[in-house]
Amino acid sequence: MIKKILIIDDSPIARKMLKSCLPKDKGYELCEAADGEEGIRKYLEFVPDLTFMDLTMPKLDGYQAIDAIRKLDKDAIIVVSTADIQRESMSRVINAGVFSVLRKPMKSKFVQEILIRVEAEKKKRAGGE
Amino acid sequence: MGDEHEYIFSDEEKDILQEIMNIAFGSASADLGDVIDIYVELSTPDIQVLDVGDIPSYLIERMHFRQKETSIVAQNFWGDFKGSGILVLPNKAGRNLITVLDDDQAGLDTEPIAGQEREVLMEVGNILIGACVGKVCELLETFVTYTPPRVIHDSGNEYDSFVKSFDPSQAAIIMETVFKFQKVDINGLLFIFTNQEAIEWLRKALHNFMESYE
Repeated sequence: MIKKILIIDDSPIARKMLKSCLPKDKGYELCEAADGEEGIRKYLEFVPDLTFMDLTMPKLDGYQAIDAIRKLDKDAIIVVSTADIQRESMSRVINAGVFSVLRKPMKSKFVQEILIRVEAEKKKRAGGE
Repeated sequence: MGDEHEYIFSDEEKDILQEIMNIAFGSASADLGDVIDIYVELSTPDIQVLDVGDIPSYLIERMHFRQKETSIVAQNFWGDFKGSGILVLPNKAGRNLITVLDDDQAGLDTEPIAGQEREVLMEVGNILIGACVGKVCELLETFVTYTPPRVIHDSGNEYDSFVKSFDPSQAAIIMETVFKFQKVDINGLLFIFTNQEAIEWLRKALHNFMESYE
């Protein structure tokens, strides 16, 4: 089950938009980071079940943060939430092994679809163990 | 620079506008990539409120940030959201971009090189400015009409008259994105600025945009 969600995005507005798309009745524990560097630190401290990751960020961008997190935890479930929808950017993140990509601006319907898919993936993994 | 206008927009309103510009420029870059085979490295946009009278010196300072001589593509737009889009590229950009466009637009070969450069700059400017302003309008639920794009080189009188064309009595909101065309190693700047007439509308539109996320 998803209990803990980490949101890594330099924009406080983007974080607010994403949080508003999450169902309120699930009692998710949320943690936020404003750049890739802080995101990696928070990932280690918070150990999320799901991480939402922006790509264009100061200090350490999303591509670098995805690589770093996947080196720390090869099973990390990372969903990229980005405005950069260029083909090359999409293929870079998919090759990096992210779970899915959400296009900004966030829409509740798509965020909730992702949550259902992540739940299913976690069940599948737990069943395989 | 523009201290009395600093509080026209709250920090939250600037943050909303920054995120909207981020989404709009990401979308515009993807549109450009559909037309020509190019990848745009993006950065986080910056939002500033300035006196219109300070725009010329601001542009000069920002344009010379990375290169001495620049080419500018300017396009005005009208509607609830009213202002100008300005794409700033180094002078060599048009020539370098021709090599990228060459496969797609073989007809350019028949034109003199200066004409080709102008065409390429106008094409790229038209796509980036149009798609970016268009996406801002889509998100803020309005529409605008555009003037045709025009290319201005900073080495002549046209540049001087361009920077003197701003009405210094008003405030302007500048949305700025620094980017890099990776394939041809060109850095550029995209500014969208809107003047005082559109500011009240813009503030309301930003709040309406965020309402569905409250």
